[in-house]
Amino acid sequence: METPRDDRLAAELRELRPTPRPEFAAELDQRAAAGFPRRSRWPRLSFSFPARRLLIPAGGLAVIAIAVTSAVVGMNESGHEAPQTLTQKADSPRKPATRLEDSASEAAPPNSTVLPSSAPTAGSSAGIERFSEKATPQIRHRAVERSAQLVLGAAPADIADDSSQVLEAVHAHDGIVMRSSTREGEPGVAGARFELLIPSAKLSDALAALSAIDEVRSRHEATDDITAPTVAASELLQDSKARIDSLLAQLEGAEAESEREAVEAELAGERRHRARLRAQLQQLERRADYSRVLVRIETGAGEESSGGGAWGVGDALDDAGKILAVAVAVTVVALAILGPIALIALLAWLTHRAWVRRERRRVLS
Amino acid sequence: MAEAQDTPRAGDLAFERLYRSSRDDVYAYVASLLRDAPAAEEVTAAAFERAYRKRDRFDPERGEPRAWLFGIARNAALDELRRRGRQAELTAEPAGLESVAPAEGAEHDERRMIVSAALERLEPHERELIALKFFAGLANAEIAKVLGIGESNAGTKLHRAMTKLREACDGNA
Repeated sequence: METPRDDRLAAELRELRPTPRPEFAAELDQRAAAGFPRRSRWPRLSFSFPARRLLIPAGGLAVIAIAVTSAVVGMNESGHEAPQTLTQKADSPRKPATRLEDSASEAAPPNSTVLPSSAPTAGSSAGIERFSEKATPQIRHRAVERSAQLVLGAAPADIADDSSQVLEAVHAHDGIVMRSSTREGEPGVAGARFELLIPSAKLSDALAALSAIDEVRSRHEATDDITAPTVAASELLQDSKARIDSLLAQLEGAEAESEREAVEAELAGERRHRARLRAQLQQLERRADYSRVLVRIETGAGEESSGGGAWGVGDALDDAGKILAVAVAVTVVALAILGPIALIALLAWLTHRAWVRRERRRVLS
Repeated sequence: MAEAQDTPRAGDLAFERLYRSSRDDVYAYVASLLRDAPAAEEVTAAAFERAYRKRDRFDPERGEPRAWLFGIARNAALDELRRRGRQAELTAEPAGLESVAPAEGAEHDERRMIVSAALERLEPHERELIALKFFAGLANAEIAKVLGIGESNAGTKLHRAMTKLREACDGNA
């Protein structure tokens, strides 16, 4: 409840009210009429370009970037897989999958085994001597184990003929048939299976020959670098040989019977060790020299054969799915990158705002 | 289309009205906070400029336009004080500021000096309350919005400030 004294005090306070200069008031009126044009003193970006207005173009750019990236990645993936798909569907199934051959050749050239190029090739026992007697620790070539799987489609009546051609191709390329089986019967039941060892140097030619036998439904190749264990075994073998030479020298110089017996015992043990290393190295060399190849001949409708060789609706849907998957992946990666940055920016902004508020309170405290 | 562009929007008209009704009040409040006429003019202009840029973001459901405008002016003034590293010192008659001075006589002048001196003895936040109430002419609800406190709280604080001011005036007299 206000008293007359309060009213008087209020009136006195209102008399003390500051008033603007007429010039300033007129100038401000002009600025108001002009829509408060920006003054050069505080050129703040936020005034002319509010964050809200920047969000739409920024979001559009982000979406376009994601779409372009997805499309590029998707196209690249499709590009890698297309030759395989075409080979599997094989309008001309007699043709080998040249692209796969090329890529496999790049990954593991025929001569890129542990052997020097001048050394004897594939599977000879001389390979052991190469390592045991001559090989240096710094092997320049990579030891690569290769494997392949080939699925051919055939009619039940062609199984026997195709099987014969498989064997002929294996023999023509100095390969070995580890296991084989054939089954006769209705489409889907009849078929054949071959587990082969093909000299790695001739793998590409052998696969081409095998692919030419009948319709190629699928073909996969894989490589495994076994350089490290091969080099390790080679070095151990060299060490063992040096140890044996040393022991033989000791044996020649031994005079006492007991000493001779001790050295001979040690020598026998070292020779057993050397034999084990030699077998291990031989096995590694065999893995590098010979590639495992699995050939299956199937009958009945294959998964890929029904669509023929032409690019159809199913392929389009498949590609669309892949592109969508890539788009999702790119979006997730983008969010994983932008999320923490946005979080840090948000925290910084909140911290700054809290600090400004505290400072404003402090000014009047 | 050209006619639509030439016709002022409703928001612009509303802001125009707000500006006309609040220009001197904002200046009086800001000048009381800053005690510096040139700075008060700069901050007043900046506050209106900020408010104009943000006029589309004003939400009528969150309060009166005047309270919103004075909130912007208050932040601008406090930012200016922070920049200058000075404590806000409210005064009844800041240096270099013109005020209405009827000058009706020696007794009246003496009374004004007493009130000014009494204002000087108040705490800064109490002087701000009085400036918002009597210089800017805000209602208690608007003061509460500007300061971010409850309306009853604003009324209580204002009452205490007035009581202290009256006691100070009585002491000076």
